[in-house]
Amino acid sequence: MKLELGLIQIKDIQFSKECKVENGTLFVNADEVKAFAFADDDVKACVKDAHFDIAKPGESVRITPVKDVIEPRVKVEGPGGEFPGVIAKVDTVGTGRTHVMKGMAIVTAGKIVGFQEGVIDMSGPGAAYTDFSKLLNLVLVCDPVEGVHQHEYEHAVRIAGLRAATFVGELARNVKPDEIKTYETYGVKEGWEKFPNLPRVAYVHMLQSQGLLHDTYVYGVDAKKSLTTILNPTETMDGAIISGNCVSACDKNTTYHHQNNPVVEDLFAQHGKTLNYVCNIITNENVYLADKQRSSDWTAKLCRLLDLDGVIVSQEGFGNPDTDLIMNTKKIELVGVKTTIITDEYAGQDGKSQSLADADPLADAVVTGGNANEVIILPKMDKVIGTLDYVDKIAGGHAGSLRPDGTIEAEIQVITGATNEMGFGCLSAR
Amino acid sequence: MRRGTDYRILTNNPLVVRCMEEWYSIDYLEAGSYRDVLVRARDLVYAGHTLFTHPLAGSVKPNETPYRSIVVSREPHAFSAEQAEIVSNSLTAFDKFSEKDWQWSEKVLADFQLIDYTLLAGAMEFDAAAGLDKERNRIPDTNKK
Repeated sequence: MKLELGLIQIKDIQFSKECKVENGTLFVNADEVKAFAFADDDVKACVKDAHFDIAKPGESVRITPVKDVIEPRVKVEGPGGEFPGVIAKVDTVGTGRTHVMKGMAIVTAGKIVGFQEGVIDMSGPGAAYTDFSKLLNLVLVCDPVEGVHQHEYEHAVRIAGLRAATFVGELARNVKPDEIKTYETYGVKEGWEKFPNLPRVAYVHMLQSQGLLHDTYVYGVDAKKSLTTILNPTETMDGAIISGNCVSACDKNTTYHHQNNPVVEDLFAQHGKTLNYVCNIITNENVYLADKQRSSDWTAKLCRLLDLDGVIVSQEGFGNPDTDLIMNTKKIELVGVKTTIITDEYAGQDGKSQSLADADPLADAVVTGGNANEVIILPKMDKVIGTLDYVDKIAGGHAGSLRPDGTIEAEIQVITGATNEMGFGCLSAR
Repeated sequence: MRRGTDYRILTNNPLVVRCMEEWYSIDYLEAGSYRDVLVRARDLVYAGHTLFTHPLAGSVKPNETPYRSIVVSREPHAFSAEQAEIVSNSLTAFDKFSEKDWQWSEKVLADFQLIDYTLLAGAMEFDAAAGLDKERNRIPDTNKK
């Protein structure tokens, strides 16, 4: 399966009467994007009002509470469209050509569940903890219709964000890309014949799937209702997986993370050189213990069936998913396949506590995305997009987090993407 | 919805009681803490009750929410060392989070109740939305499933 990504570097975003991309600048008419986002019954029913704002790197701007971050893309050749099964029809994606607007994102913001949404600072010490501070962000701030349930509203804001990204992505359809990158994986036999001496490696991609407000969707299917299965890596790059959760900010995989999964990118960089990148195995993180057992059994079974030599395993979340992580790792090791884990840590503010809620001697190769309990002081910003009403209440904040002078003292788990467990970010340990 | 004949829900979350009590056997630890629910689960698992759901919540960190719901079997069956390990590791994980000075408003408490309830409902394949509608609309008993 072969996918071309046509990368279009966006260097500036400006509000304008017309919508277009010209010389690297995105001109956007906020009313038109809003009209497209609202042309959905659920959005109309649950979102009372919405407005757009622009946040640029280096500005004294704080975006909070952040729900999702999405990269605008458009399918220009080949089957399917962006966010299959949710926005586009459910055709299989991952082939042909997709245009990508690099250097920018759609960010959805607004209160859904008071304590679970995060912060993106565009400058200052907090900016160093999130790569989203380096993007030009077109922020969609939503307000709920009174009385609507949180889970209905989460769905509506999710769809509004994806629709806004679809509208903006469409503007890149006829733009000549600055760079074209090609990604290709092969069938089992074909790959084996092509790279007979290279180790066969897959990516075990664990998806958050614990219930309402804690879900991930694959081709529109709620991951908790799916058995462990296989994806071509290019499908992930092409919008097959979207975030539908309001879990804590630092280790939540936003849709942007799925689109730009660094494990996929890095495995492709080594594909055909030091390893043969076979596929992605997607598995869930359900609350019910029998589901955990079934899913991890299936992960190990697929690893053996594919005659893999090694896998990289990434998880999403902390606590309960640590058990899935260890079950997967242990069972995969026991069928003779080497594993390396990517996770983050909750090691206490002094970093001295055990990092994960579960452990096993077979899980002896771990890469960390950082300690989420680390304390940071975020200075006051001149402008807030969204509201600071919930800073005291988000995970990692506490009563008194928001000081009278506007600074915030909190753990870095308040920062969106700070300790991402795909390794998307710059924190680690040696 | 999973068949509930052998389920016992241990919870300190009043929303779980309101939405689910018609269908499940519930041990409501009304004045209990998150830790109290974990301890009750541990004691029952040590006594041979089957642990059906993971004792730790999704991504809500211990000591950041006051509510927890855990499902065990109504009756003891057989001791499982693996489950005993999961439940005792969970208690260890809980204890490493320091107490914080939470002063939650009613609104935030309601959010925490909702998250705990939806996680539980997801595990039980219980229709969380229908439970909430019942809560909101107070459907009369004639609508019992």
